[in-house]
Amino acid sequence: MEMKNIIVEVTKIGKRSKNLAPPIIKDCNYRLFMNKLTWILIFILLLPCLLGLWFYYDMSDQRQVQEINGEKIYYDVEGEPLHEEGRIAFLELSQLFSIGFVGIVVAIMFSSELINEEYNQKTMNLLRTTPIRPVEILLYRYLSGVFCMFTILSFASILFYIILMMTAGIHGIIEEIDVLWLIIKIIMFESIAYIGIFCLITIYFERPFLLGILYWIVWESLVSSQNYQKITVTHYLDSILFDGIKKMGWNTNGYLTYEKDLASDYGLMNSKDEIIASEPMIAIFALCFIATITILLGARGIAARQF
Amino acid sequence: MSEIILKNVTKNYGNVQGVSDITLTLGAGITGILGPNGAGKSTTMKLILGLSRPSIGYVDVAGKDPFTDWQLKKRIGFVPEHDCFYEHMSGIEYVSYFLRMHDVNKNDAQKRAEKALTELGLEQSMHRKIRTYSRGMRQKTKVARATLFDPDILVLDEPFQGADPTTRHLLMEKMRNWANDGKIILISSHILHDIEDLTDKIILINNGKMLASGDRHEIRKLMDNIPRKIMVSPIRKNDLRLLAKRMLDEEWIRAARVKEETNEVILETNKAEKFYLELPRILRKEKIEVNRINSDDDSLESLYEKLVGGAQWK
Repeated sequence: MEMKNIIVEVTKIGKRSKNLAPPIIKDCNYRLFMNKLTWILIFILLLPCLLGLWFYYDMSDQRQVQEINGEKIYYDVEGEPLHEEGRIAFLELSQLFSIGFVGIVVAIMFSSELINEEYNQKTMNLLRTTPIRPVEILLYRYLSGVFCMFTILSFASILFYIILMMTAGIHGIIEEIDVLWLIIKIIMFESIAYIGIFCLITIYFERPFLLGILYWIVWESLVSSQNYQKITVTHYLDSILFDGIKKMGWNTNGYLTYEKDLASDYGLMNSKDEIIASEPMIAIFALCFIATITILLGARGIAARQF
Repeated sequence: MSEIILKNVTKNYGNVQGVSDITLTLGAGITGILGPNGAGKSTTMKLILGLSRPSIGYVDVAGKDPFTDWQLKKRIGFVPEHDCFYEHMSGIEYVSYFLRMHDVNKNDAQKRAEKALTELGLEQSMHRKIRTYSRGMRQKTKVARATLFDPDILVLDEPFQGADPTTRHLLMEKMRNWANDGKIILISSHILHDIEDLTDKIILINNGKMLASGDRHEIRKLMDNIPRKIMVSPIRKNDLRLLAKRMLDEEWIRAARVKEETNEVILETNKAEKFYLELPRILRKEKIEVNRINSDDDSLESLYEKLVGGAQWK
């Protein structure tokens, strides 16, 4: 297709979006938020908050306070600032929950609800008899999925951060706010990439849950630690994380360290012991590119699907 | 004028044949498509709607390929046989949702949906969730959704299913009006009487093959060689056996049975046209007076039974 035609088509989609996008996004958001499984996942996501509460009550008797310029700074019995301990716990648990397994399950579940359920309920058949382009069918569902995933994971992260950092007081919460923003940034790009990938899997295959989990285990977990990791989403997310932590000047052990140690923590080293982290802008571009490609391929899949 | 053309269309689903070598042309007015379960009616409809693409042959709807031309769908309304609802929506939300897919703004869509649902008698329940709807209400909602954007072509798969007599009558009236407006309407129904009431244009389909299409009376004539039963009721009871005996002398009468309780002779012939020509002559000659000659075989049901050997109606 010529560039001129593409521009014309995109303009038409843009013009139609004011009528098409609101009802589709509203309906999809409703379905995602009202789904029982979503609330189970939210509950799992909030489990670390219980840990934060336990941490708060466990430390409240032992912590020591020092007041500097009217600000209370809390330390543990060994004299280490509590907010530094808190940020490490926050980062590690966020990687495990929001960015890791639960985040992936949320993306798979949402993609399945947005696409597969429509095939099961046969509403996709009806949509295909209406004058809506396949790319529009997918695009607004994708946007809804990204919005819901980002909202839920961000909300859980913010809540977890506040509860976990309560031990370190207001000073601790403000002092480490950069790590919260970094996690939220990762969640945003994670949502952008994974919703696209899982929507694509859901369109082309009949068992999206199984294939989604397989994809995550084989591709994102095994391949992402190898030399060819640049073909995984995990590599680009880790690259953004790596860059963010590097700029903050600390690694996951809480000490200033050499870049290589930090890269090694995130598996961003190749077999030649070289750092293979991508530049953050390249990582962002790659993730957005993956999302765009998955939407275009997904739209083709919807267009080609026969009933 | 728009037309729907299927030319030598075959549709395979793996090793299963959906339809085989179907050729037909649909113009303005109502056409009924009849066949038992798995006959290929839904496949034919899907091909017209662009939900499937033919394995062999081509489908042309108003000069376009329905599978690839999404703009064509502005002109096609579809009532599916099965429920395809967003159950959490109310009737009005559902109907206006699909109208907005036609690039209609929110207020306009709301108003038009309200009007369409009111016309179909859902003014009291249009704000209720669809999950609380009865079958009849669901059917009306489907019809409202499929028709409120005034499509030129309507594909209706079992539109009367679950509808009460009032709704059925209402829908039939609407269909007649739409047909009078020049719309192309393809309708499948397992209630043959409904089709007979609506149209004489039918397509008979079985095992994926089109058995016949056209005017049902014409089709009947074309199938003159297929045996059909004709009931002749003499005024005098004494003439029953005489008539049966006399008719068996003719080579084009295959069987004759006397039914004294209903005062009729049931004659089976494979030359119906000849039968109707010759019978008055024989009756005059034998001086047999009759008060009724009746053939149920002109109904679609018997026509269909003849064609598919009594296969179960959908």
